[in-house]
Amino acid sequence: MIVTTQKPLDEVLDFISPYTSILIAGCDGCTQPPRGLREAKTLSQLLELAGKLRHKDFNFKATTVAKQCDNYLAASILKPQINDAEAALSLACGIGVQTLAEVFPELPVFPAQNTHFMGAEEREAGALEERCAGCGDCLLALTGGICPVARCSKGLLSGACGGSKEGKCELSPDRDCAWCLIYEQLKKQDKLHLLKESRPPRDYQLSGWRITT
Amino acid sequence: MSESATHDVVAVKQNEDYCSSCSICSSLCPYEALKKDTETGKIVLDIAKCQVCGLCYSNCPAKVIDILYYDLDSLIKYLERAKQEYASDTLVIMCRGSAPDITGVEKLFGISKFIPLLVPCVGRIPDEIYFNALLMGIKKINILACDEDYCRYERGSSVTGRKIIALNLLLDQLGYGQEAITLKRHSLKVQVDANLCIACGNCVFYCPYDAAKLESPGGINFDLAACRGCGLCVAMCPAIALELENWEKERISLVINQLSSEMKPPKILVFRCQWAVFPSLNGEPSPNVCFIDLPCAARVDKFHILEALQKGIDGVLIAACSEDDCKQERASGKAQHSIAALSERLGQIGLQDRLHFCTVSPRYPEELDNELAQFSQK
Repeated sequence: MIVTTQKPLDEVLDFISPYTSILIAGCDGCTQPPRGLREAKTLSQLLELAGKLRHKDFNFKATTVAKQCDNYLAASILKPQINDAEAALSLACGIGVQTLAEVFPELPVFPAQNTHFMGAEEREAGALEERCAGCGDCLLALTGGICPVARCSKGLLSGACGGSKEGKCELSPDRDCAWCLIYEQLKKQDKLHLLKESRPPRDYQLSGWRITT
Repeated sequence: MSESATHDVVAVKQNEDYCSSCSICSSLCPYEALKKDTETGKIVLDIAKCQVCGLCYSNCPAKVIDILYYDLDSLIKYLERAKQEYASDTLVIMCRGSAPDITGVEKLFGISKFIPLLVPCVGRIPDEIYFNALLMGIKKINILACDEDYCRYERGSSVTGRKIIALNLLLDQLGYGQEAITLKRHSLKVQVDANLCIACGNCVFYCPYDAAKLESPGGINFDLAACRGCGLCVAMCPAIALELENWEKERISLVINQLSSEMKPPKILVFRCQWAVFPSLNGEPSPNVCFIDLPCAARVDKFHILEALQKGIDGVLIAACSEDDCKQERASGKAQHSIAALSERLGQIGLQDRLHFCTVSPRYPEELDNELAQFSQK
């Protein structure tokens, strides 16, 4: 899932203060926690309250899109609702914001979220952690299903750096050392020989910026 | 022990002089608050464990227990008043946990007019109430209890079931017929609007009872036998696809709307868990403070808090049970977390003082008043 956090409300208020009629578009897609209809409504209520304190009457319309990063979906769902909106506030990740900007080129589109990374939620701990760096050259088959590109602070591809201390990273001691995790995992699977395999340097061209389907 | 020492008023007291140590109360108490002391052989009340369900009060043969809420006197006074007010000879005693709205109750029992008596758990009603009601000229007594495994006080519903069988046998001999008292069971559960569901799985994570199941393909499914109606999933659903019977969003919105127009400033709205605070039978007339009772603090919806503030309510107080006292598998802790997140957001626009979450218990009746007094000052 794409991990986002809410932008502080005063920042959002700065974006929208020149406008009165604003569309708030949630996204039911891969953000965690989901920023769907409830989040859109809550944001509209909070901004309305903030507006009142600042003697400004906003007119919000809260709605949601199944996947805001799909330009066809975004256009077909939002076009009929956009009517007299002077600006749009997107609760999606950065991709969703850009899709809206592309679909509605005349309309100023503002982000209500900060987008962080592709990750997973450890719900009991209430934490979200990066899991995939989108490198385009997946090596999880060799590393016991644990990605060193995303989870090793130094992004090392061939083993721990020597700074690993009791399973933790030397750069951020509260963070697990990815290579320790990989070692333990491979040990459980009796596949430690994988660590001895030499592998070629990563092909950075693979991460790319455009793929034709 | 030290906890109770800080409270002047407690809701349950045991008059040791009359106690014959028969142990009926300790065998019924779901919380081990009443226990036989192994050395002295006497029954000892540990108020810190008590959840004020009232099972000991209604079942003590020696009437040793004094209880602050819904005791015999106040129940009789209420019945006398309510009989006039509702002009009916049918009484319906309902557990707050399972009672639908008026039309729902009428449908359940096939009646058209009735005297309502809402209590937290029907297990706390002493036998004398049934006799007094019949003497007062009430012809028919209906009891609405929760499904047995749904009872928030574990044994309240099943004990009542057995008691009613015995009472009916007795009343039959006295000529009141075999079914002077009717008992029905009902529980309020979650409802899904499949058209709105986005299959995100939030309810699966939050449900304390593992009632929510998300399958792919297949979408969300609730095991209604397992659902115990806390409403946590409803408050957490990002797609607003869930409802809890009797606490539908629209219904609560209407109440907020009505209350906010009736109240006088400073207006304070209290969302209270119905197991944390027991409402008075006499109503709670105050022009500044209004209450909305919820099945658990977990049902408190961000949406409704903000709506109240928008409608001109000056402050919103959430009165919940502590996590340890929570009758819904510690769901109140999740509620506290989500309220804290909303508080932070309100802080960003300068309204941090308008929302307060507090934990109270019916065993110390003054707690809520103190919290309210503090909050009003702000």
